[in-house]
Amino acid sequence: MSRTRMLLGTAALAVGIGLWFAFASPVDRLQGEFSRIVNIHAPFLWVAFLAFGVTALASIMWLVKKTPRWDRLGEASAELGVVFTVTGLFTGMVWGQAVWGRAWDWGDARLATTAVMLFVYLGYLALRRATPDPEMRARRSAILGTVAVVQVPLVYFSVYMFRTLHQTPSIRPDGASMPDEMVIALLVNFVAITYVYVALLFARLDVARAEERVTVDADLAGDAVKPPRLTEVEDV
Amino acid sequence: MSDLFIVVGTFALCYAVIIGYAARLHLRRRRVKD
Repeated sequence: MSRTRMLLGTAALAVGIGLWFAFASPVDRLQGEFSRIVNIHAPFLWVAFLAFGVTALASIMWLVKKTPRWDRLGEASAELGVVFTVTGLFTGMVWGQAVWGRAWDWGDARLATTAVMLFVYLGYLALRRATPDPEMRARRSAILGTVAVVQVPLVYFSVYMFRTLHQTPSIRPDGASMPDEMVIALLVNFVAITYVYVALLFARLDVARAEERVTVDADLAGDAVKPPRLTEVEDV
Repeated sequence: MSDLFIVVGTFALCYAVIIGYAARLHLRRRRVKD
């Protein structure tokens, strides 16, 4: 069994354990069943922050070393960050509709900054697709990947800077504002979803490496491997 | 009961997106191999 398959298999097991904790833990008296959504909402967005942080680190490493593997890591992690930001925003919207009475509010600092962060990283992926030259693509995306990460602390601290709808974190260094069973369920899901990110990152890097090998082989072969135009082949 | 249904649906949809992403990676890997 390959390393990636083993990682994905164990990640599925970790998700199963996380789901068990999420649905076995007690619910909040006011929020009811909707309080269970926090068990995936917060970990999804934590993983998105982590993914964009890894993209920034890989971008800086590419600018220093100029080796393709850092470019591949930056792209892979940004793609995963976008997936987890989308799922994180969606879970937040479902929770918000039930608890706040509205799914979205552009006036809320946390929601607005998260949406802007998502659009910027979608732009990062679009920029990569719009630049065919590998060297130029790596350089442009490394610069954007390094600059765009400033949004991560901006999103995180937005709830402290602007007192709008979104609450501050429930787990703080001085203690948690929820019972231990709920804290344990949340922490188990943090670990499980972080593990899913790591497994998917390895899977994505495998694909990137394989695709790059094919592209390099095709470039080396030049015109020799181009298929014949069937219209130019005369009937025998 | 309907609240739990919405919550389970939300979990299912999110994990379906992640499983879909993993499946897409698997298909891309297989296409490159072929």
